[in-house]
Amino acid sequence: MASADKTINTDVPEKDVFAIHFLQSLSNLRTQNLFNSPDTTNYRVRKIKKAAYVSMARAAGGTSRLWSRALLRRATKGNNKIVRFPRKKRKVTWKISSKRRRSDQRAPVVEEAAERLRNLVPGGGGMETSKLMEETAHYIKCLSMQVKVMQCLVDGLSPK
Amino acid sequence: MNGAIEADYLLNYNTDMSVLERQRAHLKYLNPGFDSPLAGFFSDSSMINGGVIDGFLGTDGLNLPMIYGDTTVEGDPRLSISPETMIGTGNFKKRKLDTETKDCNGKKKKMMMSREDEVEEDDKSKLTEQYNGSTKSIKKMKNKAKKEENSYSNDSSKVTIQKTDYIHVRARRGQATDSHSIAERVRREKISERMKFLQDLVPGCDKITGKAGMLDEIINYVQSLQRQIEFLSMKLAVVNPRPDFDMDDIFAKEVASTPMTVVPSPEMVNSGYSHEMVNSGYSNEMVSSGYLHFNPMQQVDTTSSDPLSSCFNNGQAPSMWDSHVQNLYGSLGV
Repeated sequence: MASADKTINTDVPEKDVFAIHFLQSLSNLRTQNLFNSPDTTNYRVRKIKKAAYVSMARAAGGTSRLWSRALLRRATKGNNKIVRFPRKKRKVTWKISSKRRRSDQRAPVVEEAAERLRNLVPGGGGMETSKLMEETAHYIKCLSMQVKVMQCLVDGLSPK
Repeated sequence: MNGAIEADYLLNYNTDMSVLERQRAHLKYLNPGFDSPLAGFFSDSSMINGGVIDGFLGTDGLNLPMIYGDTTVEGDPRLSISPETMIGTGNFKKRKLDTETKDCNGKKKKMMMSREDEVEEDDKSKLTEQYNGSTKSIKKMKNKAKKEENSYSNDSSKVTIQKTDYIHVRARRGQATDSHSIAERVRREKISERMKFLQDLVPGCDKITGKAGMLDEIINYVQSLQRQIEFLSMKLAVVNPRPDFDMDDIFAKEVASTPMTVVPSPEMVNSGYSHEMVNSGYSNEMVSSGYLHFNPMQQVDTTSSDPLSSCFNNGQAPSMWDSHVQNLYGSLGV
């Protein structure tokens, strides 16, 4: 659907952008001396995972996408010196709740699936279903990019 | 003449295009000449012929305003007054169709905003003032009670090009015409359009029909991607780097196996890092050298002695490369 693609903009940067961000975050992790203590594997895993998500959000467009904004906000809870969030005037906040109430009537099949999606996609709680799907599409693209990058890294670093 | 062309154009709408497609086609029709006529439009308020536009098929009294001055764009039949003006000049919403709909029930019902020809002069002057102040908008119209239309036109638009734009929606033949069901239909079409888009993204979704199955598939895919990331991060955590790791081989392998494409511009990377707290203290040059590594390996340059720079050499001075490269990879501890 060429015409549809023009209106839904889900451009995602190239793989190397993701790679740079991820490598940078990994190097930051390295300087925290994580890798010296072998008994904190879980902690390490969680740190790496968080680093992966944050770097993905940064690479994918920073705060210009709803899901990335929510992700970054979640990740820098309280100690936010890093990311600058644009202060958009949300004048429709009261409308969201009213839309929500009506959304239960709207094609309940779609809506319950949308609920599940909202739990998966970061920032999904405040979005209407159509907006949610746009964000999901972009999120899927970014996730697959990130997976490719990480896969390459693992392949490169694994012992031969 | 204008009326005939208008009717022709409107008749073309009577296909089975979805509501959304009609809106888009309409916007396309409007868009090419949209901005420039409006510039002339606002300055030339005297050209306004008292009219907004009667979009109704078949009325002879079509008095399309010569809004566009010298341009040849036919007066946008739906270029209209902004909501404020609608409310202010209440007698705009003449329900011309009332008599007609009784006669032609089965006929296509239209949403329109009609304006009587006998608008008073003072109304016209009011109009011009309000035209000057209003932003451009394409209004969503229907032939319902004024009150409903007022309240509805104040709602946010369903499909917009700009924040303040409204898009005309026409009810299809034999379908309900109240605002809610039309809005509902627009929304449903938006959702289904996006679902089709998602269908292309998610592999293996073309066989599945039906919204529910598709959505389940999408949810599964997102979940699987997230699980993959978690799994790969576990793997990364386990890979324990040693100081005497052979970097050259690793990254040669990596570059060979992952043909990454065009390098992003330095500006983009730098701006991406502008609000990042880089506590490692590395400069931006390191970053730029970092991403240059992922250029596709064109040819192995055997002239350079350093094997690492030979992998990534693409015309740069080898000496500059080495230090930067080793800086980056040393920082990774790999």
